[in-house]
Order: sequence, then C-alpha cells, then structure tokens
Amino acid sequence: MRRAGRSEPKGSRALRSPLHGGPLAYAVLIAATVVFAFPFYWTLVAASRSNAELSSTTPALTPGPNLLHNLGEALEQAEIGRALLNSLLVSATVTAGVVLSSTLAGFAFAKLRFRGRGLLLAVTVATMMIPPQLGVIPLFMLIVRLDLQNTLPSVILPSLVSAFGVFFMRQYLVQALPDELVEAGRVDGASLLRIFRSIVLPVARPGMAVLGMLTFMATWNDFFWPVVALSSQNPTVQVALKSLGQGYVPDQSVVMAGALLGTLPVLLVFGVLGRQIVGGIMQGAVKG
Amino acid sequence: MALTSSARLPAAGPAPARTRRAGRLAPYGFLTPFFVLFAAFGLFPLLYTAYVSLHRVELQTTDRMDWFGLQNYTRLLADPFFWNALRNTFTIGVLSTVPQLLTALGLAHLLNYRLRGRTFFRVAMLLPYATSVAAATLVFAQLFGRDYGLVNWVLGELGLGPVDWQAGTWSSQLGVSAVVTWRWTGYNALIYLAGMQAIPGELYESTAVDGASKWQQFRHVTIPGLRPTIVFTVVVSTIGATQLFGEPLLYEGNAGGGISHQYQTLGLYLYEQGWTFFHLGRAAAVAWVMFLLIVVLALLNAAIAARRNRTDR
Amino acid sequence: MRRSAAVLGSTALAATLLLTACGGSAGSSGAAADGKVTITIDLFGTFGYKESGLYEEYTKLHPNITVKQTDTQDEGQYWQALQTKLAGGGGLADIQGLEVGRVASVLQKQADKFTDLKTLGLGAVNDELVPWKGAAAKTADGRILGAGTDIGPEAICFRTDLFKAAGLPTDRTELAARWSTWQGYLDLGRQYVAKATPGNVWTDSAAGMFTAEVGQQQVRYADESGKPVHESSPAVKTAWADAGRLVADGLSAKLPQWTPEWNKAFSTGKFATLSCPAWMLGYIKGQAGTAGAGTWDVAPGPGRTGNWGGSYLTVPRTAKHPKEAAELIRWLTAKEQQTTLFTKQGSFPSSTGAQAAIKDVTDPYFSNAPIGQIFSESAAAMPAQVLGVDDGVIGKAFTDALGEVERTGTAPDTAWKHALDNIRKANGS
Repeated sequence: MRRAGRSEPKGSRALRSPLHGGPLAYAVLIAATVVFAFPFYWTLVAASRSNAELSSTTPALTPGPNLLHNLGEALEQAEIGRALLNSLLVSATVTAGVVLSSTLAGFAFAKLRFRGRGLLLAVTVATMMIPPQLGVIPLFMLIVRLDLQNTLPSVILPSLVSAFGVFFMRQYLVQALPDELVEAGRVDGASLLRIFRSIVLPVARPGMAVLGMLTFMATWNDFFWPVVALSSQNPTVQVALKSLGQGYVPDQSVVMAGALLGTLPVLLVFGVLGRQIVGGIMQGAVKG
Repeated sequence: MALTSSARLPAAGPAPARTRRAGRLAPYGFLTPFFVLFAAFGLFPLLYTAYVSLHRVELQTTDRMDWFGLQNYTRLLADPFFWNALRNTFTIGVLSTVPQLLTALGLAHLLNYRLRGRTFFRVAMLLPYATSVAAATLVFAQLFGRDYGLVNWVLGELGLGPVDWQAGTWSSQLGVSAVVTWRWTGYNALIYLAGMQAIPGELYESTAVDGASKWQQFRHVTIPGLRPTIVFTVVVSTIGATQLFGEPLLYEGNAGGGISHQYQTLGLYLYEQGWTFFHLGRAAAVAWVMFLLIVVLALLNAAIAARRNRTDR
Repeated sequence: MRRSAAVLGSTALAATLLLTACGGSAGSSGAAADGKVTITIDLFGTFGYKESGLYEEYTKLHPNITVKQTDTQDEGQYWQALQTKLAGGGGLADIQGLEVGRVASVLQKQADKFTDLKTLGLGAVNDELVPWKGAAAKTADGRILGAGTDIGPEAICFRTDLFKAAGLPTDRTELAARWSTWQGYLDLGRQYVAKATPGNVWTDSAAGMFTAEVGQQQVRYADESGKPVHESSPAVKTAWADAGRLVADGLSAKLPQWTPEWNKAFSTGKFATLSCPAWMLGYIKGQAGTAGAGTWDVAPGPGRTGNWGGSYLTVPRTAKHPKEAAELIRWLTAKEQQTTLFTKQGSFPSSTGAQAAIKDVTDPYFSNAPIGQIFSESAAAMPAQVLGVDDGVIGKAFTDALGEVERTGTAPDTAWKHALDNIRKANGS
C-alpha cells in the first residue's frame, strides 16, 4: 500500500482516468477553501482590532492596527507564553514516549511470536474504543493523591502510551518490514535489540514520523484531561484558551489574540510539513 | 550474546535451554514499556471508575468513599437532565455528523479529479483539523454572537432577522455542530480520498466505455468501493459525537450547556456533575453509561455492516 | 535481551520524567536566591487592586515583594476552579478571594483547607469592620478564615445621555424619588422604552434586578437556623415577580451577566440603567473605558439600600508564602487602602474608619455623582444578611432561570420549577 501511495502522482490511474477537473470543480473547491480558511482570517481581524470595534454594529472585516498590543496583552494576562512552553514540553515528551513505546510493542506484535500475542493485541485494539472520560475520575483522584495536580507530569504520564499508536505501528511494520530482513539479522547472530536498532528502526522511520506528527497534534490539542488536571496558574495552551473563553480577560480582541497565538505553532508546522501530514493521514486511513 | 536473540522467529533454530528461555521472554521486554504505563494509566482507571460509581464521593473530600450501591445509577436514570443530555448528544451528533460526512464525500470526489494545486487544496482542507477545539470554539462563539456576531450581521444584510444562537434550542445546537463540522469535514474528505484512490482505475474505465455518466460512476463505482472507508468514518464520527465535550463547554463558557441546558451533551453533563457540583461518584456512573452506549453503537454499526455485506454478496 | 529492551524503555521513561520534572518545577514561584518573593493572588470580578495601583505601591514599600494577580470575571467559574484546586491542593495562589455568598460554605465544609489568620498575626484584621462582615468569616471555634475587603451597598447607575435623549429627568434626587420603589423603577422604565430608540431598553437583564432586590432583605435563601427557605422566602418571591414583570414589559436587554455580549453592551449603550452595587462602578469603568466617562451617573436606588456581594481575602493552607501573604492582606484591607479603592474604583469599604473617610467622595467618571454619600446611606440602612451555605448555588439557579424567561420565552412558572430542579441537582438530593 505504501509503495502504491508513493508512486501515485504519476500513477497509471490518474493518466487514464476519465475524471478531469472542470471549472465547476475548481469553483466548488475554492469556495470550500474560503469557508475553511475564513475563521482563521477572521481571528486575525478580531485580534488586530479593539474591543469597541468588535462591538460595533457593522463588524470589521479587515485587519486593524492593534495586533501587537493585543498579542502582548494575551501573553501577559493569560499566561499564553508559559502555556506555549508547557504545551511544547508536554507534546514533545508525549510524542517521544508514544512513538518509542509503540514502535517497540508494534514490532513485537508484528514480527515476533509469543504466547498470548493474539489476546494482548485484541485487548489493545479493544481499548481504543473506550472514551477518555471513563478514566478521568480515578485519574483525578490518583494525581490528587500523588500530589501531581497542576503539574505537567499529571498530563504527560497518562498520555505516554497509546493503544492507537501500537496498532498503527503494528499495521505499518507488518507490511513494511519483510520477515526475511529480520531473519537475516538473526542468522547473522545479532541480538533482538540489535536487530531492532539496525534493521527495524530504519524501516519503521516513515511510520514513526507519521505517528509522531499525529501524536504531537493530538497532544497539543488535547482538552478534557488537561482542563481537569491543570489550572490557569500553570496551563497548557488549551487550558489557557479555556480560561480566556470563560472570561479570564474582559477584552474580546485579546481573547482572539490568545486563540491566534495558540493556533500559530500548529499552523507553522502545517506550513512546513503540510504535504507530509496529508500523506500520513491518507496512509493511516487506508491501513485503518 | 550471540544467541540471546532467538525469539521464535519464523525459522528459529535450536538454542541452549537458558538462552531459549531468555529468548522466549524477549518479546515481552518489547511490550513492557507500553503495558506497564497502559495498565497504570489506562486499564486501572477504567476499572476503578466502576468501583467509584458505586460510592458517594465528593470532590472536596476524595479520600472519603461511602458505599452507595446502585444509587448513583438509579438517580441518574431518574434525572430529567440526564435524558436531556442524552437527547442533545444524539441530535447534535446527527446535526454534525451527517452534513460533515456528506460534504466530505463530495469534496473528496472533487479532490480526486486531476487538478492544478491539488496539494494546496488538500492542505487547506486539513487546516481546521489542526486547530484545537478550544481555539475553534472561541472563534465560532464570536461569529455566532447574538448582538454583535458576524453571522447575524450577514443575516441582517440579507434582510433576515437576527437569530439567538445561544438561547434557542435548535439554533444553539446548530452553532455547536458548526464547530464540529468545520473542524472535521476536511479530515474526512482526505480519508475518503485515500479510499477512492485505492479503487482501481480500470473500473472507471470500463464503466466509461459502457457510457456511464459521472454521477453513475460515482454511485456505482465510487460508493461501493468506499464502503469500508465509509463504515470507518461513521464509526469514528459516532464515537466522537458521543464524547462531545469541548465545543459545548466553550460555546458560552459554562458547563450547564446553555441557559436551559439545551445543548448540554453527556460529556458536559459528566463534567458538570463532577467539577461543578462536585459529585465524583455520580460522574463516574455517567462515564460508565457513556461507555456502554458506545459499545452498543459499535455493535450496532458492526451488525449493520455485516448485514449489508451479506445482502450484497 | 529482555533486560536490554527494558533498559531502553526505562531510559526513555526516565528521560521523559526528568524532562517533565524540570517543566513542572519551572512553574513554582518561590523565594529566589536574592530573597525576592512573588506573592500570587487569585481573584474574581474586579477587586480593583491592580487598577488603582495598589500592588505597585506595595512593591515600592517592600522592594523584595512582587505581586502577581490572576482574575476570573465570573465568580461562578472562579468558585468551580477553586474547588478543584482545593480538592487536590495544587495550583492555589498564596491569596484567594472569596465571595460573601460562599463564605458560609467554606466555614462549614472546608475550614481546614484555609489558614487561621490569627496564626499569621492577623487576629485583629476584622476588628475595625462593620460587625457582620467579620462575624461571617469566623468559625464556631473562633478561627478567622478571611479578611473582609468591601461590601456591596446598592444604587442605580444610569446613562445621562440616553435619559436626555428619551426626555427623562437626569436629576439624581428627582430620579431617586421617582424610583423609590421597584414599581416606580418599572414605571419609569416603561416611559423610557416608549420614547427611546428601538433596540435600546431599560436595563441589562432580569438577573441584575432580581439579585439587587433580593439583596435588600435580611433573610433570602436560608433562615437564621441555616434551613434553606428559597422556595418560600418572601424576598425571593417578590423579586422573582418583579423581574418577571420587567421581562414581560420588554424592559430587559436580555444580556447574560458576566459574558462577552454583556461586556460589549457597556460601550454600545444597549441599556440605560443598571443595578449597581458599589463595586460595579469599577466594572463599568473597565468595560465602558475612557470613552464612557461622563455618560454615566449614579442615583440612590429603589428602597435606598441593599447588599450585593462583597468579598474576603483568604490564605489557603498550601500557600507558599503565608507570612508575606498575610502582610499583604493586612495592608490591602487596612483603612487607608480601602479608602483609596473606593475613591478610584468604587469598591465600598467594610472598614468603619474608611467609611467615615469617604463620605464626601465624588466621582468625575460618573458625572461627579456624590458616590460617597449615596453608598454610605445605602450601607447604613443595610440589613445584616443571613448567609446560607448554598447562597451562591441558589442565586445562580434563579438568575439562570430568569435568563431562560427572557431569552427563550419560557413561562416564569416553568422557569421557577427549573430553578428548583437545578438547586436540587447541585445539592445532590
């Protein structure tokens, strides 16, 4: 599947396909793009205006002069700067943990045979269905008891592994890693860990990259648990945005500046890696 | 060292007894990091929730648990607000999922054409997905403001009266659904697109030779070929809709889900029970009911899919 | 091999934990090596300390202290977050504000989570206040859990420009006479709405009027024995009926208080009057901004008295700098600072000394209204309110229900039932 995906741009189907994009297709797609992009544009407009302008009866439709002032206010009043740093730390740590633990376990599930493999895999997959809310109450009681409330480990520890990640890496390695490669390494007398390092990891890298991107975004945007575990004193971006939305700051243009600041890093990542992320999601879809 | 690696690979050779034992255990070493953390932060809370739901536990005094039997559940079922939340979860689920998936299907079809700037379109579609629930909802809450919102201004320019997007039942549910739809349509379009690209081009070719129109191709080639993908997105969206929380929480910024709880979802109801009214035991009961609901929905989905497969063959 | 895989895993885990531990500790504000201390203070609404420059002044007096304030506008949200933090003991500031409607609840349920101010040398902190203010923060066994800040004597704020445009008098004495009762207030409102530009109405919300009117009675939601009486209390019933009349006659702008839409309406002039406890003056200044100066005025309200709100400062057990926090509290609640706060922000002092000092204060922002005199008279006539454990919850349920009446057209009787349902739900019975 991966190979097919890679050759897709000059693939046979596209050339012979009877489906050509007419002007109508472009028109609809451009309209859709405008709809998708408008809230971003409007965030910028609102974040660069004053509160009074936002409450005028004819709303502002173009950016105004107050952007820097509002960004500064958001940074100062809602701890957005601190929140950005916290989110970065949390997302990076969680991503590292998920990718590593998932690759290890995914490899074992994909290529090793051991007692209980089917059962363990089934349990893992089954838990993907469980709503995160289900664990929130005991988790909350747990971190209260561990004295971790309002600390970053309280949001990192529960997310450090992911059933989805294990399943994802397993699916990836089943197809991407030929049995012969592993076998050859074993015949050469390499230890399993060595095989993992020098044979599995290089092959797994593209899959790890996709999983990493997805995990990073999901963690950056995670909402329910951080809202419960953290407070506005030591927030992640989403917690800070929630405080903004609940009237932490009276000025709506500052609220919008906060939303802008919280979204910007992800947008930047998208600007650089957009194509890869799109590819990753489409790849994951066909596998899933 | 040389032979410690003999896990039971496809062609495992004979090995000394000691190293063989080590080899047998090696795969578990790979699983340990995942399962240890998973047990502590995934499995344990899950089971413990059931235990908590049988007790009276208040947020202010989490170390005190009084046996409560099934009272949390019976009170839940007797609470009109619970049924209200269940109904809202369903209607908002339909309002957000159906238009979202249909639009995604249409967009995917267009994206599957040979297009200039296709990467641009794909990335643009996916941008809302990269936005967080919190940021998106804050922005939409502004757009849907009753007195100074852009949406009502546009309606006013069109000669239509302003809509109270917060207090009305349908209007507020539509507002919340709009956030969900905006965030997830592009994502689903890409998933469908991936599915469409896996459909062999020859199928289109042969139907084209048979003189089928584009619409007929879409109906008779694309849709059947996409069926597994559609089932996948329906399942994922349904689960997502059942757990809806951030959008209704931030829409007006309170856990009540509107002035008459008119858009309070189950997720929000759980949060309100636990973190506004401080009844953790009752919140745990809500969590379990939600879980059962998802299991039922998943089984239902699976049954429908299986039945359709049978009738098709 | 088994070992090496485990080592790999645990190294990664250790690395991440280390990383997160660093991240976590970066968050704690502590005494730095140079002896500098940052005191955190977490408040709701507008206390006005920051706005009137009191923190800066304090830092000038104590160069080793800096004060960092966080603030949530809606007290309901603030209370909820405070409870979660109290449950886990994490994320609390050195000083936490407390609204008067929550004091009884804290005294009864969470006294152990707060420091007895006596042990921090503040045994006399409430001695100079009006007696009921200090008594409300004292436990049965004599612990002092909160230092009184302001109280909320009531008046009516009104827009002189809008009144003139609608041909209404703007003389404070005349207005006070016209709306000496709530019926008079509604009558004048009907006159106003008949002449005002369409879309411009009499007051912001039914909730505001309801809270103000209930606040004039001694017994509101609970009686002296602590028994909840909100279902039968005449105070609640009368205020509910009057608020219903307000909505029925189209006098309400239907704005939910403490929301962005409400905030914005201050600068656009959607309503002409507002039930104004003294601390609301600071809120108006914050929302209407400099552009609003001179358009607002204050007059004695119906009944010429009432108490809405007012607050306390507390030190949670988990405070990192309890001693320094206590010193700041002593200073902030002292007579001089209470006087400054009223002059600059309108928060009415609970200190009798400060009350004597502000009698002649006028406020240029509010058309030079004699706010000292107006609020002093209102405070003098104020009943010693009976505070119930669930006052905050009950008050919110009723104001929410009034929001339903005005925003969704729910019949008042149905909304009344909803309010009672919500109170039952919150109390878990």
